Amino acid sequence: MDFDRVRAELEAANPDPIETGHIRMKLLLFGYGNIDRQDDGVAWHILRGVAEHYQVMLPTVPEESNCVLSPAITTTFALQLTPESAEWVAEFEEVIFIDAHTGSVADPLHVEELNANFQTSPFTHHLTPQSCLALAGSLYGKTPKATLISVRGYEFGFAQNQSKQTEDLARQAVRVIISKIDQAGDFFARHL
Amino acid sequence: MATQKITIEPVTRIEGHAKVTIHMKEDGNVDHAYLHVNEFRGFEKFCEGRMVFEMPNITPRICGICPVSHHLAAAKAGDEVYGAPPPRPARLLRELMHMGQVIQSHGMHFFELAGPDLLLGFDADPAIRNVVGLIQANPDLALKAVNLRKYGQEIIHILGGRRIHPVFAVPGGVNKALTPEERDLILAGYHKALDTVKVGIQIMKGWAEANQEDINKFAVFPTGYLGMVKPGNTLELYDGDIRLIDAAGKQMELFDGRTYLDYIAEHVEDWSYLKFPYYKKMGFPQGVYRVGPLGRLNVSDRMATPLADAELKAFKAINGGKPVENTLYYHYARLIEALYAVENVAVLLDDPDVLSTDLLNTRHDYRGEGVGVIEAPRGTLWHHYFANENGQLERVNLIVATGNNNWAMSKAVDSVAKTYINGQVIREGLLNRVEAAVRAYDPCLSCSTHAVGQMPIVIEMVDAQGSLTQTISRCAD
Repeated sequence: MDFDRVRAELEAANPDPIETGHIRMKLLLFGYGNIDRQDDGVAWHILRGVAEHYQVMLPTVPEESNCVLSPAITTTFALQLTPESAEWVAEFEEVIFIDAHTGSVADPLHVEELNANFQTSPFTHHLTPQSCLALAGSLYGKTPKATLISVRGYEFGFAQNQSKQTEDLARQAVRVIISKIDQAGDFFARHL
Repeated sequence: MATQKITIEPVTRIEGHAKVTIHMKEDGNVDHAYLHVNEFRGFEKFCEGRMVFEMPNITPRICGICPVSHHLAAAKAGDEVYGAPPPRPARLLRELMHMGQVIQSHGMHFFELAGPDLLLGFDADPAIRNVVGLIQANPDLALKAVNLRKYGQEIIHILGGRRIHPVFAVPGGVNKALTPEERDLILAGYHKALDTVKVGIQIMKGWAEANQEDINKFAVFPTGYLGMVKPGNTLELYDGDIRLIDAAGKQMELFDGRTYLDYIAEHVEDWSYLKFPYYKKMGFPQGVYRVGPLGRLNVSDRMATPLADAELKAFKAINGGKPVENTLYYHYARLIEALYAVENVAVLLDDPDVLSTDLLNTRHDYRGEGVGVIEAPRGTLWHHYFANENGQLERVNLIVATGNNNWAMSKAVDSVAKTYINGQVIREGLLNRVEAAVRAYDPCLSCSTHAVGQMPIVIEMVDAQGSLTQTISRCAD
């Protein structure tokens, strides 16, 4: 129902639906992580930075899952990806997943185009964005274009403050996302 | 003499997960195997200094998988600290939210985590032995499974008002009433959810019938069993006494969960960060016990809803009324509990008090200490708070469900490794059985964090001279 509310907001905000009777949602910024584990929650801070650019103030701590930044851009935040995330992801034409990573990924600011590819997590409920896309395609027949933007985390203690390095990288990630949106073509230009 | 070591280690970015090591003998048989878990005890320290009334909102952040269990256990502990038992309508609504959690968690586990092993086979190609393979094999069932989980999530959302960090239960009650429209909305999904669980049970029974040999040699071992019951040893998930039975089914204790420290102690091993809870009077390891669906059904004589009660009878018949020891029957027990949870949703919604607005007990009799106990989907969960006179926490003790099953999970890994692995060349399907032994307990090892990228499992065999003889990496690239 949360999703239905967002859809209703989008429909109210857009007097000229792209598709008759049902607006196709365009871009989803899907951040996930745990804001109580310091840099693990960097995605939330990145979402706040992007939202601020579009004059939308998100709270310090995530309360609701979803927020509409413009008729073309929706944000979602979750502790982690879950199977039902796939249903939401399938609603969009494009998704940018936002996450944190450790030293196992070489780039401090990592940008990667994603393909649908289910990856088994043997012991845990962990779901990767590639797996989420695979579920979206398998279950709902829709696989949006997707990008992963992840930021190196340095501190993962039980606290809400980010490390200085990750804070700096988060600011860069915000600029990358805004730039990506700006370059995305006519649709976004018309609806921002 | 152990001469080789196999390590199964999910690669994660911080501690909090697990790995399996299998120590081999020279003759190619398994000497012993361990499950090593890194626990998140730091969270207890993180809570110190916080206010008790904040805890129902803070503790769900321990885990993105079972936040409701922590939310409710924290609220129950808060009830005790403030001496404010919630009014009956609030208890009903909390239990309703808990049923939503059980439905979504058990539904997800059976259909999406255990399902690929059971429906596609332990030895199926790992490239398809996953939920996408399951979808391709049976798309209708897969969609039903996703909708079952969604049904549970919607119950939580309707009551909690938020998908992230629900602010529903508070010490003394809850802060939101259920409207008739919301009740009807939940009821509208009842029959579909019930049908899906019934389908799951039929699948499980069919699989069990066809795979008796595996079931009877896959991690079958005696332990005690522990779980919450109502009078008459009726299964209870939200509020009741704790019943502990021994391996033969004899009742060892029936106690108020708030007095757990009189009965439960924790043992430490140098190869795992996670402690091993056990029954104090029997000592370690004689006093180890299992929790979660298998533990709960073994300590229960009946269930409060008709379909689940009938299914419990079938479960009890498996071992002639004695405790069921087979690890793979965790899956069957889990589905019986899911059946109970769905049926119980209708029972709770049929209660006139469920729409009452008498939701909060504002009369406090402050005690400063409180224990909240609940049956999380994975097993018994304890929150124990010690607060100063201002309600600020000075000490916190958590015993989480996965911790209670720590010994049993490691024993299951050891048992399966010894049963299925022999010879120098290890097939992937055999190692998958080792992983499946852990999966059967549905441990919550992903608490608090997640990781970019995949979580590959790498298994290495090293010979007596320390040379790598075989590597198996099971991940989708």
